[in-house]
Amino acid sequence: MADNQKAVGVSVPRIEAREKVLGRSVYVDDLRREGMIWGKVVRSPHPRARIVHVDVTEARGLPGVVAVLTAADVPGDRYVGPLVKDQPILCSSSVRFEGDAVALVAATAEEVAETARDAVRVEYEILEPVLDPIAAMSPEAPQVQAGGNVASYSKLRRGDVEVGFRAADVIVEDSFSTQMIDHAYLEPEGAVAEVDAEGKVTIWVCSQYPHYDRQEVARVLGVSLARVRVIQTTTGGGFGGKFGSPLVSCYAALLAARTGRPAKVLYTREESLRTTVKRHPYRIHYKVGATRSGKLTAVEARFVGDTGAYLVVGRAVVGKSTSHGAGPYEVPHVKMDGYAVYTNKAPAGAMRGYGVPQVAVAYESLLDELARKLNLDPIEFRLKNVLREGSQTATGQTLLHSVGVAETLERAADARREMTPHLKTGKPYLKRGIGVGVSWHGIGAARSPSQATAYVNLCGDGSATVLCGSVDIGQGSNTLFSQIAAEELGVPLDQISVVTGDTLTTPDCEATTATRVTYLSGNAVRLAAEKAKGTALELAAKHFGCLPEHLILARGKVQVPDAALEISLTDLFKKHAVQQISALGVFSPDCTPLDPETGQGSPHATYGFGTHVALVEVDQETGAVRLVDYAAFNDVGKAINPQAVEGQIEGAVAMGTGYALSEGMIFDRGKILNPSFATYLLLTAADLPPVRVGLVEAPEPTGPYGAKGVGEPSMNPVAAAVINAIYDAVGVRIRELPAVPETVFAALKTRQPLPADR
Amino acid sequence: MLSKLREFQYLRPRSLDEAEELIQQFGPDARILAGGTDLLVRMKERGLRARVVVDLKAIPGLAGIHAEPDGSLRIGALTTLGDIERSSHIRAHFPLLWQGASCVGSVQVRNRATVGGNLCNASPAADTAPPLLALGGEAILRGERGERRLLLEKFFTGPGRTAMGQEILVGISIPPNGAGSSLYLKHSPRRAMDIAIVSVAVRLDVDSQTGVCGKASIVLGAVAPVPLRARAAEQTLEGQRLTAQRLEDAARAAQEAAQPIGDLRGTAAYRREMVWVLTRRALVEASGAGEGSTFFQG
Repeated sequence: MADNQKAVGVSVPRIEAREKVLGRSVYVDDLRREGMIWGKVVRSPHPRARIVHVDVTEARGLPGVVAVLTAADVPGDRYVGPLVKDQPILCSSSVRFEGDAVALVAATAEEVAETARDAVRVEYEILEPVLDPIAAMSPEAPQVQAGGNVASYSKLRRGDVEVGFRAADVIVEDSFSTQMIDHAYLEPEGAVAEVDAEGKVTIWVCSQYPHYDRQEVARVLGVSLARVRVIQTTTGGGFGGKFGSPLVSCYAALLAARTGRPAKVLYTREESLRTTVKRHPYRIHYKVGATRSGKLTAVEARFVGDTGAYLVVGRAVVGKSTSHGAGPYEVPHVKMDGYAVYTNKAPAGAMRGYGVPQVAVAYESLLDELARKLNLDPIEFRLKNVLREGSQTATGQTLLHSVGVAETLERAADARREMTPHLKTGKPYLKRGIGVGVSWHGIGAARSPSQATAYVNLCGDGSATVLCGSVDIGQGSNTLFSQIAAEELGVPLDQISVVTGDTLTTPDCEATTATRVTYLSGNAVRLAAEKAKGTALELAAKHFGCLPEHLILARGKVQVPDAALEISLTDLFKKHAVQQISALGVFSPDCTPLDPETGQGSPHATYGFGTHVALVEVDQETGAVRLVDYAAFNDVGKAINPQAVEGQIEGAVAMGTGYALSEGMIFDRGKILNPSFATYLLLTAADLPPVRVGLVEAPEPTGPYGAKGVGEPSMNPVAAAVINAIYDAVGVRIRELPAVPETVFAALKTRQPLPADR
Repeated sequence: MLSKLREFQYLRPRSLDEAEELIQQFGPDARILAGGTDLLVRMKERGLRARVVVDLKAIPGLAGIHAEPDGSLRIGALTTLGDIERSSHIRAHFPLLWQGASCVGSVQVRNRATVGGNLCNASPAADTAPPLLALGGEAILRGERGERRLLLEKFFTGPGRTAMGQEILVGISIPPNGAGSSLYLKHSPRRAMDIAIVSVAVRLDVDSQTGVCGKASIVLGAVAPVPLRARAAEQTLEGQRLTAQRLEDAARAAQEAAQPIGDLRGTAAYRREMVWVLTRRALVEASGAGEGSTFFQG
């Protein structure tokens, strides 16, 4: 970019910051349409039951009620799901979790719709629910889904773990369990649908993937894709939860199509907590071996992810655990077996980290145990094994570039040194400790092919519009696209307009998930802008009679620096009868899919890495754990907007610490007991120290300006670091998340004497 | 799963007489509104159907902190917890109450919630209750037959239930605190926006010359149907020199007095253990046996 202006690598303010701060951003709940009706969902109070009879007579008769729909009223396909169509829009014969949808009502006022919802009489034959995922794997267990309870099985085989364990001098082995958590975004799910005079349907929805919502709405209504338009409203957080669960869009669409009136369906917080997708709870068993000199020889693991009543993306989540389960380490012999299992609980789906935070807790705990047994410093031990340029991952992929994990560890060692003077507390019952967690995350879905597409329209005045299907869900991707386009086209940021989140005008880029937007869509935007610029420079080269390589595009002018000549794009376009230059950028990462039998392949073109350091204080008498200090080092390739990256990391630490210490859906016989933020305990600002963020930039040659991504890599090591810090403080190994005071207290009661060195 | 308030009649009396009349008129149908941080949540989310809501906030004189010349304190029922938190007088002379009020909810909640509401809601875990009981506070109640005073110890009769008839809590009166040392400890997983798993307020009058304990107050929160005064524990200390053993004995007596239930926040067994831990810790710190006295929140 000319004139010493830089757009990339600068913490420019968010495009939408002013709108948000002034309260002018339009969220789903802000939408009102003329004649709009309100939809409410009738839900099962039972985790598993047969539907005997649904009586809608009373509900239909209530004044103000305009529609009461059951499964029979769905005009198109009745099942949805991103991988397998196993989730009914409305259940007709049986319900599979507490909160499963049975009927849909709509009325002219929300209160009336609530009354009508409660007036729908459903007779159930209550069945014994399948709750324990391990028991569910037994062939004798009642079947949640017709195809059996084992929804998927993913394997990884590298080397021979028997050989690896024979070569080990020390072997550690343990079991862990992690809990179901919710994304807990500020904005619950909601959608508004409207049918126009031609019968075309428009949906406004807070979503991570409007094009997928369009697919499912079109299928459910039985219409073509072109007759459905989905517009993403300002989205108050997603974290995976607003992808892969298109039900709210389908409900609004069904009601609008049926009544001809605009329809709004907005979930309450309770509905969101009870019924939308969650993070998979895991049961995990790990065995890790190392030589006396501290080299890892083998990792063997088996884990079961409880995917709840419907698969959503369970197969892919557990697959991610399998490919990432050996951690960012060189291990010659690896064996992983991962299962996604159906139970009668709320469906688990995508959530930031996608199967990696669960296994990171297990392997990072065991690496600390190994280090202790080998009498090695935990960071030194990891540095002996960590992936470096040229290393092979457990899937057999050779990493040639951008492997910054060793640097994150080295910087973590410095942070730990700075924290060490703060280990004293002044109270005998308060003990402090420092823990590290290391993790990695493949950028983009482990799916091939996967691609991102963007258009750039370069105008005569040098300004440009960017059209891309990847939506901004609060993480700042629209700002990032504008930075990339501005950098390529040599204009200030305010000369770029970004359009995303409208299926009518933007290409399908797949979902805003999998830490893929910066790398994939950022590349697509960059390529499109580069192509548009190239076309402009070719025109100018003809004009000047020189080579395009000798020209610069900046601020709407093409310059020949050597000859001090320039022409404005306006004049250039006029001369060649060009109105604007439109260019298409398509980017597909270079991956090879995993072999289903061996789990070998190159599932991701590049990986993000991180080492986090937590200083915790444990009250030995109550079991209460407090995070005192935190340092996070993430290799992001290149921070296109450093402040946005820091914000992502700070948020990840809050989310990950909640995962480690306080959050969790609590069940009683399959029913959620805490569907409220008064009892589902998210940590608050008062519970968290300032996070010290350190950015490591090991450039990825195929990334836009070297960038990779940060959304999930920043989340993955947090709980592991916190759990390791608890051990360092009080010598107890927490094997069951969350480490609420009572859990830690129970562990302290069975504590072995502390190692002699403390 | 209600998300919206149902219709109700909203009344805003301008005087206590008028309010009292409305309460006589509507009886149990009338719900009294102060800060609304409990009532409105229950009406919106917990299915409480209030037909009539009587808002006290237009009645003059119900809010305010009055330090009396004799060292006693009178607090209007509509005084917000935020006002208590910001009162340097309360912080200096009634630190126990300051600690209790300061750990309720968040800044926003404390700026709405009132001390009267916190008591009348009658949660066994109300954070102002153990401190006020330990301080020997009295409720000032206004009914048909005028005003009466009731020791706060006798105010609570069960979860959500009080000894009030068709009366209005107009204020709290607290006797002079003297030189007593005190501490309120709240054990909750979160440091804000959370309800105690267990809480304890202790107040000790220890003769600095002899080291003998005069009056002792030990009040437990969240471990019984009401905020619970642990009398046997107090008696263990009164008239005695406070040795470490005696403090432990008192904590054991408090633990025996507790009748906790298990719920989402903790099992009954854990709560019982925590009564011992917190009571002993509070006694050690308040009696000066600990290393510096600080407000602890687990």
